[in-house]
Amino acid sequence: MDNPAPHEPPPEAYETFVRLFVAHEMRLRSFLRSLLQSWTDVDEVMQETSIVAWRKFSQFDPATSFMAWAAAIARFEALKCLRKHARERLVFSDDIFDMVADESLAEADALERHRAALKDCMEKLDPQQKQLLRVAYTPGVKFNELAAQSGRSVQALYKTIQRLRALLLECAERQLRKGAAT
Amino acid sequence: MSANDTQRLIAAWTDGSISREDFAALEKILRNDGHARSLLRREANLEVLLREGASMDAQLGAWHENSASAPPRSIRRRQSLLWAMAAALALLLCLASFFWGGHRESQKNKLVQQPTEETNTGCAILTRTVNAAWEGGDTAKRNGDTLRAGPLHLKSGLAQIEFFSGATLLLEGDAELEIVSALEAVCHHGKARVRVPPPAHGFKLEIPGMKLVDLGTEFGLEVDRQKQSAEVQVFEGEVEAHPEGGAQVNLKKGEGLQSQNHALTRLASVTPEDFAGAEKLDSLNAAHTRTRHAAWFDWTERMRHDPRLLAFFPFQPQNEWDRFARNAALPEDPLKNGGIVGATWAQGRWPMKNALEFKRPGDRVRLRIPGKYNALTFAGWVRVDGLDRKYNALLLTDRYDSGAPHWQIYEDGRLMFSISYPDPTQPENQKAKRNQIYFSPVVFNRSETGRWHHIAVTYDSQSGEATQYLDGKEVSREVSLFHAPGREIIYGDCELGNWGMPTEKHKFPIRNFNGRMDEFAIFRAALSPQEIKRMWEAGNPE
Repeated sequence: MDNPAPHEPPPEAYETFVRLFVAHEMRLRSFLRSLLQSWTDVDEVMQETSIVAWRKFSQFDPATSFMAWAAAIARFEALKCLRKHARERLVFSDDIFDMVADESLAEADALERHRAALKDCMEKLDPQQKQLLRVAYTPGVKFNELAAQSGRSVQALYKTIQRLRALLLECAERQLRKGAAT
Repeated sequence: MSANDTQRLIAAWTDGSISREDFAALEKILRNDGHARSLLRREANLEVLLREGASMDAQLGAWHENSASAPPRSIRRRQSLLWAMAAALALLLCLASFFWGGHRESQKNKLVQQPTEETNTGCAILTRTVNAAWEGGDTAKRNGDTLRAGPLHLKSGLAQIEFFSGATLLLEGDAELEIVSALEAVCHHGKARVRVPPPAHGFKLEIPGMKLVDLGTEFGLEVDRQKQSAEVQVFEGEVEAHPEGGAQVNLKKGEGLQSQNHALTRLASVTPEDFAGAEKLDSLNAAHTRTRHAAWFDWTERMRHDPRLLAFFPFQPQNEWDRFARNAALPEDPLKNGGIVGATWAQGRWPMKNALEFKRPGDRVRLRIPGKYNALTFAGWVRVDGLDRKYNALLLTDRYDSGAPHWQIYEDGRLMFSISYPDPTQPENQKAKRNQIYFSPVVFNRSETGRWHHIAVTYDSQSGEATQYLDGKEVSREVSLFHAPGREIIYGDCELGNWGMPTEKHKFPIRNFNGRMDEFAIFRAALSPQEIKRMWEAGNPE
């Protein structure tokens, strides 16, 4: 009879956790991104959140919403992160943080639909536009380096990207309105 | 403020270019305008999607085809997502391996039930070694040891290190390695072969002159401090090399890179045969195992003749269903063969050696040892898989009568030897007893699960001194306050691994041992510390 190595997590709980966490990762990232200004912070808080959530996973009641539960943890971790960086970053004051977070949870489903709409809209971009966005949003890529390499001015690149973003948001709004009408 | 302004401010906040003044303006808007907050969340949504999209397959080629300069740092985010998860979990494992322990129903992992949970910090496990000599001599590492972040110096031999992330590193001495985390290590000197399965993609290895990021592969590295050279050779998959002060190089199967005195050279071919792999470790390991087993066997052939032996069980069955634990002590005395109940044959210290496995509450070996004695030694090899009971039986006499010894492991991992005699202050009361109990310090904790240990106890009824040993070393030596010289030791019916006749209404009658036993000896004398040490040396599986 094999004795499992002591560092192995119980496989069922581990699998359940990973499945839930991965399923909610986008929602959580979006939730955090509306509260935190930098991707570095979002990544850091996501990491912390996954650790804390796993540690407390036995307390999670499967009959309740994983998103609400994980978001509560993420929110707390985000606050901790903001407090830590309050000096060197521009940090939303607590009342705004709370409003954005509360509303974000309240409209989680709407935001999910919004993301789906955005995805559809992204597919409609022409290949070059898609490629540009892909490159520009690759983690670690800096706009000025990218501009230098593509032979454009930073300003021009920035404008192009902003225009594409606005296009996508408008497209998503239209799509959602259309969806609501039918 | 116009809608345009709001959008501009949110965009500036999102891309991090917002000024202090604009931030104040944005805060004002967000505080008062629910629509602005909703817009912010939508921008965040878009951000997440764009970043995710970029991550899915960062095909930078098209954008950079005309550019010869280095592309922006390509981080493979498809893997990175998995990697982040793996990293987070690896970190978890590093922080505390046992935080789930308290919630499990299974007895298997519960070696000790304690209110405060035992923790085991580490980043990797030393899984296999062959002739390994470590810096630090006596504090040498053993197979199964958890390795924490920090330096390792393998002076000679081979050692296989498995990181909690899943990456495996086979180190050839003389080598100096520094473990940074479950996903990162630095090699200062020596040779190693690294294998990285998908969950550990992104495993980082630093060697002088360059950093390597693994994209799922097998590679070798060799660092020579004297020659100031370091090289990497890719045998499978792909490795990202980031040389100091140079452009990133992606190395594919069959490619290599050497750094010597800050000069980089691409290697045209690789020599995987120069790097010891799992096969070499296997064959060396097998040879080592055979040697160890043969040495143990020779020793038992001599040991059988020791006249002080009352019974000696090497646990070598004649067939799979052998229900006898055969007494190997000479002259042969079949009456001292043990009867196996429940317990099954399993692998012992070596693949070619059996052990008895005790799992269920009924598992046991029945023994009968007649006679009266003045001293005793119990010694054996055990693998403790769990301490499920308050008292976990090693050798217990059925009745805990006057002079009958009990040897068990207490729930907290201490060895516990006890023997009781009537209370001399109450001669009229037959039942009044004085219990001489001898505890060792804690010798078993969860980190010791599944590992073979030699344990021994000696007791002398003249001196009243009981000494207990773990792996050839004395861990406790004590004379009981209740000791009176010259009282005899008796056995009669007794059991290995369980307690056959719990006294009526006893609070803790279930005492079955959870683990394996591979060799158990009972002597009529208290062996010396040197003799115990030799027993351990002779039977040491490693």
